[in-house]
Amino acid sequence: MNSAASYGGILAALAERLPLEKLSFRALVEGKYVPLHRWTWAYYLGGLTLFFFAVQVATGLLLLFYYEPTVSGAHASVEYLTEHVTGGFLIRNLHTWSASLMILCLFLHLLTTFAMKAFERPRELTWLVGVGLLLVAFLFGFTGYLLPWHKLAVNATKVGLQSIEQVGELLPAAFSDWPRRIRETLQGEAAVGQATLSRFYSLHVVVLPLVSFLLIGIHLLGVQLHGLSPGVDEPAKKQIRFFPFFLLHDFRVWGAAFFIVFVLGLCLPFESFYSYPLFEPYDPLGSTPDGIKPEWYFYFLYYPLELLPFWVVQLGVIFLLITLLGAPWIFRGASRRTLRATAWAAFVYLFVITVFGGWIYELFRGGEG
Amino acid sequence: MGSFLWIGLPYVAILTFVVGALLRARFYPLSVSSFSAQFLESRRLRWGSAAFHWGVLTVLLGHLAAFLFPETWQALTASRGFLQVVEFVGLVAALICLVGVGVLLVRRLTDRLLQPVTDGMDLAVLLLLLLQILVGVLVAVHHRWGAAWAPGTLTPYLWSLLTLRPDSSFVEEMPPLVQVHLVGAWLLLLITPFSRLMHVFSVPLGYLVRAPQRVLWATVRFAEKRAPELAVVEARRELVKGLAAVGGAVTLLSIGVATKLFAFFRGPDLTAEEELSLLQTRIKRLETTRRERELQLERMQKRFIPVAPLQELSPTEGKYFIDYQMRPALAFRDADGWPLLISAKCTHLGCTISSSVDPQGRLLCPCHISYFDLETGRPNPGSPAKEPLPLLGWVLMNDAGEVVARRLPGGEPESELSPEELANTTVYIVKDFEEVSA
Repeated sequence: MNSAASYGGILAALAERLPLEKLSFRALVEGKYVPLHRWTWAYYLGGLTLFFFAVQVATGLLLLFYYEPTVSGAHASVEYLTEHVTGGFLIRNLHTWSASLMILCLFLHLLTTFAMKAFERPRELTWLVGVGLLLVAFLFGFTGYLLPWHKLAVNATKVGLQSIEQVGELLPAAFSDWPRRIRETLQGEAAVGQATLSRFYSLHVVVLPLVSFLLIGIHLLGVQLHGLSPGVDEPAKKQIRFFPFFLLHDFRVWGAAFFIVFVLGLCLPFESFYSYPLFEPYDPLGSTPDGIKPEWYFYFLYYPLELLPFWVVQLGVIFLLITLLGAPWIFRGASRRTLRATAWAAFVYLFVITVFGGWIYELFRGGEG
Repeated sequence: MGSFLWIGLPYVAILTFVVGALLRARFYPLSVSSFSAQFLESRRLRWGSAAFHWGVLTVLLGHLAAFLFPETWQALTASRGFLQVVEFVGLVAALICLVGVGVLLVRRLTDRLLQPVTDGMDLAVLLLLLLQILVGVLVAVHHRWGAAWAPGTLTPYLWSLLTLRPDSSFVEEMPPLVQVHLVGAWLLLLITPFSRLMHVFSVPLGYLVRAPQRVLWATVRFAEKRAPELAVVEARRELVKGLAAVGGAVTLLSIGVATKLFAFFRGPDLTAEEELSLLQTRIKRLETTRRERELQLERMQKRFIPVAPLQELSPTEGKYFIDYQMRPALAFRDADGWPLLISAKCTHLGCTISSSVDPQGRLLCPCHISYFDLETGRPNPGSPAKEPLPLLGWVLMNDAGEVVARRLPGGEPESELSPEELANTTVYIVKDFEEVSA
């Protein structure tokens, strides 16, 4: 009797989360509205992220035609693509620029949906899948960074992989060897080499795309079934229909976004932000170049790692993960005011550490040695 | 001056023309025409204007053909008959045009009624046109068969401007008459947005897409009654127009993307030198990989691996080598003259340590700024690295392959001879020290 009741409860909870009866033309196309209020602009961010993801898929497929995932061929093939193939430079530059813009939109989408309390029941699943997509995007960035096999990429990957091992020092003795095993499994051999490149390559071009297609599907299904979250406490007085009006707005924003990323890709090599020539192939016998850094979207983790004791950062990461994954339950009773303040604080932190991280680092560590 | 006339002036003219025309059409749409003075004077206007317009349209058509389809045009004018016909028709049209513009200029200057409605710009336009046509006729007479030579000289120049790769070499050597004709053309383009020449845009193409109009003597009530019906017609028309625009844009975009993609997939056409250097790079990279694999094999098979002759080691600048675990290491010579072998893999996050010793006798890891003492391998207090760099064991062997000195890992150098006496020996790393005796 009791088990039957709990079974019924589970069914009811599932039915609330996945109202598949709404999968009808009427509900999805005619019944979908976008509320108009001060935060309406935030409804564009998810679509914009999706758009940049589409650019990534398109340019990534084109890059695949020329890239060679071998230690001896990777750098040469990227060089060949960039310098000789018609439009190759543009495609590669678009891929890097659009990746950065995608992650930027992803950050903003995360913060705004948090501030708008979009994770509220019954949208928990959509939120969790979204957090999963954020992690997938980070993995995309980490694996993609290695593929050109230049000095900076390989050394940064070495450091990134080695930091996994550091976690071992903080674990109880029985588990302290696990992070090393995980690193070795990812790395595939004693030093970062062909095995690592093959693994990262297959992760980057096959496994992660498949995973993200699946997750994006679930995420979009969630948005379709539950509609857009109201976003504000007072129900909005005005709303517009998603089809076709908001979609047309979306297209307009995407058009502008493509124009921006295209002009950036055409005019500004992504590497121009680094202060030294990047295009030297990796040499296993050389010393590590000065100032190797991850991509900007890892700064929020990288600078604390540089400046603070490791266990503090470790605790911070665990805390952050719990907060993100548990948000629908932790913040169930929180007012949107509180959420907005939290999102603002997170935004200020991300902005300051990403833009001024280098200065802060110089300030605290530059004087030593 | 040359580069201004052939590159600067054209761009200024084109930019002014485009921006000026757009702004004028946008903000003064009713001024996109020329003011008619027909009711003030019509007799001379009829002859002058008709002659000028028919003449100039014919001549411009020839110019345009040579500009848009240079190859076709060149092939056509290679036939003698065609060339003669084209030049003849062009010259006659130019002369008619010249007469027409002359009549118009005289009319503007002499007719009493026209004076109040004539401003400086009207006269400037007519004067410039007169000169331009006159010079054009002179070019046609003095440098005959322009229809045949222009596609290979002036057309490339114009296209070089339009494709943003300006190349004035085509026009610098041209006869002065042709050069004047070109400058005149740019000046005409330049003044178009500020003058009556703007009326070239008032070609009534809008009639093709706008709603049919019937001018009625309507009352307000009549207009209100018809408004909903008209709104429906207008909305439908707007939809068709929008779809046509989107369809056209998508078609153009698809064609553009398809051709670019085709070029991308096809790959570059390389010169012999490029192909050569690409192959060389490729082989060099393969060599690097092969060397690395050989190092690995050597470490699996050999009991001793040479690092360097003792004499080549320096106390300040280390020599990189790879230890038995395929990790980077550095070889120095210490103060007593013995070899000093130290791991170069940072104990923090595994970066490779740099090879130069600083004045305090330390080695730097550039990743997270740890300094390691060369003698002991210990990091400086407060550095991110906590563990010391391990010192490696070594043996010295003479030319006969006899071990004459050694240092066990964590031990001290052991030998019956002094370092000076061992100057000609070579430093080796050892797989298993238990097999080695001093």
